[in-house]
Amino acid sequence: MEKSIESIWKQGFLNNDALVAPKLNDLYNQKSMHLIDKFKRMFKINLNLIVAGSIMFLGISFLIGIPFMGIGFFLTLTVIVVVNRRLSRGLSKIDKSESSYHYIKAFDDWLREQVSVNRKMAGFYYPLFFLSMVLGFWYASFDGKQPGEALTNKLISTYPDQDLVFGVPIIVIIGVILVTVFLAYFGGRIYNWDLKVVYGDVLKKLDEIITDMEELRN
Amino acid sequence: MPYSAIIIKICRAYTNTQEDFEDYYQEVCLQIWKTRNNFRGQAEWSTWVYRLSLNVNLTLMKKKSNHRYATTESLPDELGESSQAFADESLNQLYDAIKLLSEVDRGVILLYLEEKTYQEIADITGTNPNNIGVRIKRIKERLKKLLDGKVN
Repeated sequence: MEKSIESIWKQGFLNNDALVAPKLNDLYNQKSMHLIDKFKRMFKINLNLIVAGSIMFLGISFLIGIPFMGIGFFLTLTVIVVVNRRLSRGLSKIDKSESSYHYIKAFDDWLREQVSVNRKMAGFYYPLFFLSMVLGFWYASFDGKQPGEALTNKLISTYPDQDLVFGVPIIVIIGVILVTVFLAYFGGRIYNWDLKVVYGDVLKKLDEIITDMEELRN
Repeated sequence: MPYSAIIIKICRAYTNTQEDFEDYYQEVCLQIWKTRNNFRGQAEWSTWVYRLSLNVNLTLMKKKSNHRYATTESLPDELGESSQAFADESLNQLYDAIKLLSEVDRGVILLYLEEKTYQEIADITGTNPNNIGVRIKRIKERLKKLLDGKVN
């Protein structure tokens, strides 16, 4: 009996054997390579952007009269870039000829070390950024006027009894110390948040692949 | 892999050997994984999988210049591995005939057989829904001819 193409199609696929998916031997390898290459690209671009941004800001800071801020940012960012460039050498040492699982685990280990070093550094560099900003504005020169001096005069006229330390009102020093301590204490958490914003997607995929692969291995 | 049936059906229509089929299947899976965040929910997930699977297959076909059956009017002299891909002989013959169609017609008829509406077929293939009906009729006539009266 003649059959229509529609019935051939339906009956042909009634048997589940017709739809056996092939084994994906290389899929995890390709996923790992793709993910790690993507991370390397992002990492390199971010470091280059930091270098370019810090140099540009240094120049601008002198032009607009906030050189302390420019120098502070430049020095802090330079340290971050140098440390991360050194860390990235470890990335190129990961052996691509390893199995996908070992390759991605080696990458994960490298990433954990990189995150741990940066998290520790964050406790220093966030306060340094803040101090650079404060110093930058305090000693800025806008049309020959210093905002720090103007603020000191205003505070003295409002609270005439307060002490000055090196010409800076004690209330300002206490405020700056409190914020600096806060940033030093929470630097690691701020870094985690920062990391999530920039690399969150890649890190999530990395975790998924490792979980998938570990399930397959067990 | 969810919706692997869709991917299998499409990849079978665009490949002639088991090796190519596995490569194409893997590439579609990889592309779905890579681009899954691009799925914005404007269409159903299955529609998105159909579209992506077809696009990947078309791209791979172009890359591999795997057009050897596309312009011939007769069935291949020798049956390739793909002809034995399914236990059902009629399905194998239907697939062989589908492989003789142009790349776009293969996509259209696969979607028709998967009971997609004309609008969905047009959305997935990027064609005009008004022409889909006529096109399907023409493709079915061609398939009947290719299957040499084995179908009605």
